[in-house]
Amino acid sequence: MLDAFSRAVVSADAKNAPIGGGELAALRNYVAEGNKRLDAVNAITSNASCIVSDAVTGMICENTGLIQAGGNCYPNRRMAACLRDGEIVLRYISYALLAGDASVLDDRCLNGLKETYIALGVPLQSAARAVAIMKASSTAHINETNTTGTNPVETRFRKMETVQGDCSALVAEAATYFDRVIGGLS
Amino acid sequence: MKSVVTTVVTAADAAGRFPSQNDLEAVQGNIQRATARLEAAEKLAAGLDKVTKEAGDACFSKYPYLKQAGEAGENQTKVDKCYRDIAHYMRLINYCLVVGGTGPLDEWGIAGAREVYRSLRLPTAAYVEALTFTRDRACSPRDMSPQALNEFKSYIDYAINALS
Repeated sequence: MLDAFSRAVVSADAKNAPIGGGELAALRNYVAEGNKRLDAVNAITSNASCIVSDAVTGMICENTGLIQAGGNCYPNRRMAACLRDGEIVLRYISYALLAGDASVLDDRCLNGLKETYIALGVPLQSAARAVAIMKASSTAHINETNTTGTNPVETRFRKMETVQGDCSALVAEAATYFDRVIGGLS
Repeated sequence: MKSVVTTVVTAADAAGRFPSQNDLEAVQGNIQRATARLEAAEKLAAGLDKVTKEAGDACFSKYPYLKQAGEAGENQTKVDKCYRDIAHYMRLINYCLVVGGTGPLDEWGIAGAREVYRSLRLPTAAYVEALTFTRDRACSPRDMSPQALNEFKSYIDYAINALS
C-alpha cells in the first residue's frame, strides 16, 4: 500500500534518482492542503451510513425489480449484503482519499471484485449505479453543496460545520476514486 | 511502504472501520512536521553528489588501509562502488525524509545488508564513518533549518545504528 509520499518514492527509486524540486512541489501541495483533506475524509466518514443507505435506496428506486421476489436485493439477507458492500467500497475510497493514492483501493477492494460479483450473480450495472450515487452525495458533502433533495423536511440532512474554502481539487480527486470503482465494475 | 498514513490505514482496515478522529489526528501530526522534512529532502537532493564525495573522502582518509591490495577499495572500480553505496544511502535517506518514516531504509537499505556485507567481506565501519561524517558535517543554518537538520540527522542515525 502506498500514499502520496511513498508513491513519489517508488517512482523515484525506479529512476534511481533522489526526490527534488518538481516532485516535492506536488507533495508540498498535499501538505499545504492537508487540513482540507482531513475535513474531506471526515465529511465522508461522518456521513457514511447516510451516503450508503441513500445510494442503495436510490439504486432500488430506479430499478424496483431488485426487491421483488427473485431480485438481487430480495430477501433482507441480500439487501443487507448490498448495504454492507456499499459501506466497504466507501470505506476503501475514504482510505484512498486520506492517503492521496488509489493503491489501497486497487489492492484491497477492486482486485477481483468484478469477478466475485459475476460469480455471485450480482448485477454489475446496479452496483456501479449505487457507487455513482455515492459519488454524487460524497462530493456534495465534501463541497458542502448537499441539499435536502426532494424532501424539504429530511431529518437526516446536515451540513459539516467547516470553514468554507476552495475544495475543487479534493472533490475532483475523490471523484476519480469513485470513477475507479465504477470502471473496475464495468 | 511504511509511513504514518499507511500504518493508520492498515490498522483501520484490520478493524474494518472508517478512518476515526484518532487516525485523522495522527495524519495531521505527520503533516505538521512535513514542511521540515521536505525541506531537508530538497536540500539533500540538491547537494547529494557533494555530500557523497565528502563522506567517501572522509571514510578513506580515516581508513587508508582500505585502498591497499586485497581490501575493499583496492582499485578505482571498487572505490567508485563505495561512493555509489554512500550515494545509495543518501538517496534512501532522501526517500525517508519524503515519506516521513524509515520504510525506504528498512526495505531497500537495511534488510539483508549485514548478510551482503559479510559475504562480500565489506567493512560496515567504513560506512558508519562516512555517515557519521555527514551527520557531524551538516549544520544549521548553513545547510538547512534547525528542524530540517534534526529530521535529517535522525535518519542518518537510524542508518548508523543499523550498520553498527
